Amino acid sequence: MDDPVDNPALDTRRDLWQPLQGVSWRYLAVLLPLSLITLWGLTAWGYQLNRGIGVAGIRRPVFWGFYLVNFVFWIGISHAGTLISAILRLTEAEWRKPVTRAAEAITVFALMIGGMFPIVHLGRAWIFYWLFPYPNSRLLWPNFRSPLLWDLTAISTYLIGSSIFLFLPLIPDVAQLARHATGWRRWLYRRLGLGWTGSDREWHALERAMKLMAGIILAVAVSVHTVVAWDFAMAIAPMWHSTIFGPYFVAGAIFSGIAALIVAMAVIRKTMRLEKYLTPHHFNNLAKLLLLMSLLWTYFTVSENLTVWYGNEPREMMVFGARARGTFAPYFWTMVVCNFFVPFVLLGIRKLRSIKTALIASITVLIGMWLERYIIIVPTLSRPRLAAAWGSYSPTWVEISITVATFATMVVLYLSFAKLFPIISIWEFKSHDRVPES
Amino acid sequence: MAIDLDRCTGCQACVAACHAENNLPVSNPEQAAKGRAVHWIRVDRYYEGEFPDVRVKYRPVLCQQCDEAPCEPVCPVYATYKNPEGLNVQVYNRCVGTRYCANNCPYSVRFFNWFDPEWPEPLQLQHNPDVSIREGGVMEKCTFCIQRIKRAEEDGTRDIQPACVQSCPAEAMVFGDLNDSESNVSRLAGSGRSTQLLEELGTKPKVFYLERAK
Amino acid sequence: MYLKAEFREKETAARAILELKANGFGPDALDVFSNEPVEFADGVLDRSSRMSLVVVASALTCCVLTILFVRYTQYNYPLVTGGMPLFSFWSTGVVFYELTMLGAILSSFAWFLWESGLVRRRTPAPVPDVEPGVICLRVRCGEGQEDSAGRQLQQAGATGVQKL
Repeated sequence: MDDPVDNPALDTRRDLWQPLQGVSWRYLAVLLPLSLITLWGLTAWGYQLNRGIGVAGIRRPVFWGFYLVNFVFWIGISHAGTLISAILRLTEAEWRKPVTRAAEAITVFALMIGGMFPIVHLGRAWIFYWLFPYPNSRLLWPNFRSPLLWDLTAISTYLIGSSIFLFLPLIPDVAQLARHATGWRRWLYRRLGLGWTGSDREWHALERAMKLMAGIILAVAVSVHTVVAWDFAMAIAPMWHSTIFGPYFVAGAIFSGIAALIVAMAVIRKTMRLEKYLTPHHFNNLAKLLLLMSLLWTYFTVSENLTVWYGNEPREMMVFGARARGTFAPYFWTMVVCNFFVPFVLLGIRKLRSIKTALIASITVLIGMWLERYIIIVPTLSRPRLAAAWGSYSPTWVEISITVATFATMVVLYLSFAKLFPIISIWEFKSHDRVPES
Repeated sequence: MAIDLDRCTGCQACVAACHAENNLPVSNPEQAAKGRAVHWIRVDRYYEGEFPDVRVKYRPVLCQQCDEAPCEPVCPVYATYKNPEGLNVQVYNRCVGTRYCANNCPYSVRFFNWFDPEWPEPLQLQHNPDVSIREGGVMEKCTFCIQRIKRAEEDGTRDIQPACVQSCPAEAMVFGDLNDSESNVSRLAGSGRSTQLLEELGTKPKVFYLERAK
Repeated sequence: MYLKAEFREKETAARAILELKANGFGPDALDVFSNEPVEFADGVLDRSSRMSLVVVASALTCCVLTILFVRYTQYNYPLVTGGMPLFSFWSTGVVFYELTMLGAILSSFAWFLWESGLVRRRTPAPVPDVEPGVICLRVRCGEGQEDSAGRQLQQAGATGVQKL
């Protein structure tokens, strides 16, 4: 028998299994209030289903409000996993290894939450399934020409793909856990482990599948947020009908995804005592990526706004004026500060770049990106082409409750996941590959 | 349809008639302040000039029944499409309420039922039996009084007038078959005074506004 | 019957495998168990794979099926919207793309389950328990081969040779 002290692999495993054992009072102190908030959000939705969607603040002409903002926001967050798992996997960046599962979990849960919003915002949400093509007594099929159908196929594909992409590397870890677990956990892990034995055939098949999936997921992820962008770009509303929206949204999605990932990692690092595994080196790299995406986002934003302003087309200028100088100006400029100035200063100046500042920058980026979705959706709708139809928008408690509840739900799902499965993929993270602490 | 803007007095009889004919839900002050009032035809007022040389222009805006309607391709469930007669129809049963069509309509003529409709007493007694009541969550818009068109087809009469056309005291609105080159509306649509709203968008609307060129 | 041998380094394991292969043990008789994937050099223990082919073929099939389906539905109940043609490749192209990718995703997962052997009827071969950091080689020996195999494994540097 090997001397346990000499086996670093066992140490790693012990460290990474540690958070799964037991439930501390701190864990419950966070989980329970957030669960209550989630339930409150569900109640608000139930109220909306009962009374009618008029309990939300949307109106003519702003037919899309908070729900669509949240939709685009959460689908954007879901690009965290794509970047880390797919892009970094394909470029063989070694430092990504402890981060992959955390990122992929964000992707799956963000997609699940984001995917709820097309249903929540429907006027008759109980017949949402009419968007699916199935033979029915009306002999009708859905309209595949509609960008909303493209949304449906894209998000379903991405959700299925991400779930599989999260599950595949989980199998070896879960199989290992099954050997050492007891009670209902043992049953769960054995079922999920699918009888994995760790033979080289299984490893080869897994690695081949992962490599293929990484490429496919990347292709799907780019298309998903492009399709979401095209919900707006395909419409002829002023300042929506822009060719830049596809790439703009994808860049924004990866941007917000990295921010969400940094937040998640900073939190689990502290709460699960994983300081040895999520090192400042990782945060440094992620911070640099965040800064890069911030610059890219700024470039796209400047491109879009500059061309509109310079072109001076009357109807577009009405929307532009509302955003830059009018009612929406506070949100617009807050967004610019949050998405550009804060990351630029905190992360661009090397002396200031640290885990703490990366966390602060990420939170401001998340706020900024949420505002960006708001700025894209609401001003255009409030300034339609015929001035007689101009209007305003203010959210009601229903929309605000549901928005807040989604954040709570995300944390609840994530915490539950981290309690059941090791948040750092043990087999991908060989102990002798651990990056030295810098 | 042809609407003569030089005749329109902005009296909004068309608006009231449309409400009566099509069972439009009646809003209340609180909901109207939120922009939830439904007027399938509305009269837009534009002021030109400074006091005392102010001129007011009225333009009744209703669904333009576009030949290439931007609202149609974006509906995921085919709740709106162009029927063989050329009308842009809204199928209430099919609508799930995504409201994409309303966002894409450049004329802002689509209205959504945010709640189940209500009428203050005794207006609920004067519903038109030919027109269905739309439940909450369904999009609606001007149909060119398709129930009158269908009734005329059944009865074999040729003279169809939507409620707004029928009720205009200035006889500013003319309705007819644009395919029939002999009809009044075709003649007016081809006249030198004929313009279209937001023509540059290429929606090919079927409502022609007649106004004296300046 | 089965022998198992434990190694700490993948080079020694590779050497042992090459020696066993030189002495007549085919790749089918050899299985390597570990808690992390072990990357041997080419030629040591290659497993052929048809995954790329399967995935590409499924993706293309899905693409064709989707195009046919969309075309069928749009002619089945023809409704004119916005002046667009009934079946418009470009306005429905995204749907084709996504469902092609879905075909690729599902087929890669399904083929992974098949190729790894996770869903096949399990042969009653015993599976060794492996500690983290240890590479375990399982050899299926015929009659009388156990001793020679065992000796080769010992020579190659195995730390624990046992019968399974």
